[in-house]
Amino acid sequence: MHFLTLSNDALFVYYVLSNFIYLGLLVVAIFKNTRHRHRLGSLRLELIKASPFTPPITLIVPAHNEERSIVGSVGALLGLDYPSLEVIVVNDGSSDSTMDKLREAYRLQTARILYIADIATAPLHATYRSPIEPRLFVLDKEAAGSKADAINAGINAATSPYVCVVDADSILEKESLVRIMAGVFSDPGRVVAVGGIVRVLNGSRVVGNQIEQVRLPKRAIEVMQVIEYLRAFLIGREGWAGFNMLPIISGAFGVFQRDLVKQVGGFRTHAVGEDLDLVVRMHRRLREENRPYHINFIPDPTCWTEVPTDWKSLARQRARWHKGLIDTLWPNRDMLFRARYGRVGWLVLPYMWIFEFFAPIIEVVGYATIILALIRGVLSASFFLEFLLFGYAFATLISIGSVLLEEMTFRRYGDWREVARLLVFCLFEHFPYRQLTMVWRLQGIWQYLRGDLQWGEMKRVGISATPPA
Amino acid sequence: MAFVFSAVEKLGPAGLVLRAIMGSVLGICLLIGFIVLRRWYRARYFRRRNERTVALRSWWDNIISGKISALDWRFDPLDCDIVESILLDNIEMSTPANLPPLLDCLRVSGLLDMRIYEARNSRGWKQRTALLALGRTRAVEAIPALAEGLDSRLSETRIAAVRGLGRTAIREAAIPILDRIVAGHLDAPERSLKNALVNCCRSHPEMLVNYVAQTEGPIRELLARVLGEVASPELGEELLVLAADNLPEVRASAARALGNSNTSYTLPALHTLATDPEWFVRLRAVVALGQIENVGKIRILLHAVCDRNRHVRQRAAWALARMEPQLEQILEDVVATNDDYALQAFISELERSGAIDKIVGALDGSGKCSEAALMEVVAGARKSVELTGKAAAVAAGSH
Repeated sequence: MHFLTLSNDALFVYYVLSNFIYLGLLVVAIFKNTRHRHRLGSLRLELIKASPFTPPITLIVPAHNEERSIVGSVGALLGLDYPSLEVIVVNDGSSDSTMDKLREAYRLQTARILYIADIATAPLHATYRSPIEPRLFVLDKEAAGSKADAINAGINAATSPYVCVVDADSILEKESLVRIMAGVFSDPGRVVAVGGIVRVLNGSRVVGNQIEQVRLPKRAIEVMQVIEYLRAFLIGREGWAGFNMLPIISGAFGVFQRDLVKQVGGFRTHAVGEDLDLVVRMHRRLREENRPYHINFIPDPTCWTEVPTDWKSLARQRARWHKGLIDTLWPNRDMLFRARYGRVGWLVLPYMWIFEFFAPIIEVVGYATIILALIRGVLSASFFLEFLLFGYAFATLISIGSVLLEEMTFRRYGDWREVARLLVFCLFEHFPYRQLTMVWRLQGIWQYLRGDLQWGEMKRVGISATPPA
Repeated sequence: MAFVFSAVEKLGPAGLVLRAIMGSVLGICLLIGFIVLRRWYRARYFRRRNERTVALRSWWDNIISGKISALDWRFDPLDCDIVESILLDNIEMSTPANLPPLLDCLRVSGLLDMRIYEARNSRGWKQRTALLALGRTRAVEAIPALAEGLDSRLSETRIAAVRGLGRTAIREAAIPILDRIVAGHLDAPERSLKNALVNCCRSHPEMLVNYVAQTEGPIRELLARVLGEVASPELGEELLVLAADNLPEVRASAARALGNSNTSYTLPALHTLATDPEWFVRLRAVVALGQIENVGKIRILLHAVCDRNRHVRQRAAWALARMEPQLEQILEDVVATNDDYALQAFISELERSGAIDKIVGALDGSGKCSEAALMEVVAGARKSVELTGKAAAVAAGSH
């Protein structure tokens, strides 16, 4: 009886605390977003493009069996608005015709390029350059079974002070590089990495590898992910970045200081969540060296990515994300509550342990004890119902907050019917969608404990096959 | 405080949760209401703005000429905002010939004074917006107000002032920045300073030369980098002084400027700079040599293609591979250097430029013994380029 009461109280505190932290992040995000929009008003992007002092940037595109989209993706990346751009495609042992497609489209020739193997990777077969597109380099390497290894090879070959990692199946908006680099220019001495926003591509109209019309996807599973992405990026990342505690820069779109990435040993080859892992190690290194730094998030440079369209792929993806979380938190557990790691060790990492990693376990145990307490009469039925309602309403409030942020800032969904749909789906995000994700995350923990670190296949519709709205 | 505790106590846990539910539901309703209202208001505002823009555009010539008095639009905030934004866009795109009427309109309507007042007396975003708008006006009388912004204790305001001064793109605007930099009184990001100075000094690089002479250390480097971007042949013999400067950045900027000139001293000066101890000075000199039309540069480039620095070598090879009529002779000279790296760099550049097939064809068709030997060397070098590429990749990858 005593245990049940204690457990219910703890769950109540946990739930309230978790939502209040997110509410706090929402307030910070609104403040930071407003400031950013003011700043954008004073920044003329064409001046950045025209400036002779705009530093060059290397786009690294790891590609594994991307025959369907690689040529279009590379073409779109080469067409980005940035004055000094280098694109390195790393063919990571594709078994399909990715390499042939590239060779044919860009008339690739073997060439000597400056390759300093500061980070160990799987062997390269050859390096290529294109006579028709001097900004393009292709590395053909043996598959190492991880995206991280391919990115590391790209970093070794990069000649620019900044590298930007982009997924081959994602679409960057034309001005996204200039916009994300504006985050670096604000304080080049301190800003070591910047993340941009990743949005859901499904449902939008794509022509020539560029978004022509942004539309909300049709299926509920995809709309739920739109809300999740909005909340995670516009509230979570924006909020944490406001305190210089951003724990992750998405692997689909982020800019890093190349030398710093090399100093921390590059992306960890066998990390499940290589993006999270790299940023945590960057925090560790910079704090150990007591260097002033800022890892920033900028909400307007946009990368569009395809999200799972079936429940099986989504379950696999979420389980993998959770495995990635444990895989990073565990090796860095020594950073917890250590003065030298400052707010990262005292706030963000404990938050990730308690409110991210343990969340599914606590929730399952919580549901069980609440039901048990209900049966044993420790908890009144009305209080139980009220508590559920409160949890639901509070969490929905946060989700609607993310739609509000989207509305206040970038308004990508211009049609009011789409905003109405988003708002309606906010009502279903915390029941039953949240409970499903909880199960998938538990699966992730179980798989990790069993040593299953596979990525798993995601069923894709494919960018080129995205149906016009 | 005691009141709060007693109220919470009275409520009990269930009551508290009930209140929390009501609070959350109220929050949801407020958020949704705010989103709906904001959408409605914005749609209305932009419709109205569109209508007014069309109307003001149709009277545009009369507004500029003053036939429509400023009193008719100046005190309606929406009209004033539209006219100002159109005016500033026009000023930015205008040629010196059609700038005066636009500036007159700004002055006569009092828009310029309004922005100067805001830049001096407002705070926060309003002040920064005013500073940037002043910069866009390109009016000389905006400079004092912009210069005052440089002394702000807020870094955002200082940056806005630097950007504003840069936007004016007039030489007088560079002086407050340069004076403060030299005195060490201006704390702003280096990139913003450089961009502003490049814009203001582009047509008057000579004013930078004096400041470069007065300064030392990192400030001198910064100014030298700007000078490197704006230095032009008009600097005349000043370029020779800069080419002999102690600071490599300054020498590199001289090399860059020399690339745009074609005087009697250009080639000798670039020759000296192409043998500079600093690789990036040599690189700049080689790039400059690539730009000038003078066959005398071949000798210098042949020396540079054997440089110890890979970038210099490659760039020299690039320049040589584009000297179309002399390519066969250049190939012979490169082979004669007995430098395998130089030959590889040259062959790979010939392959990239597509000239290799012509040369191979010419050598093949001549039937001369010496050219057959040359052909063999070229084939060997081509094979070597390919193999080295693969070997380097494999070696690097298996590290």
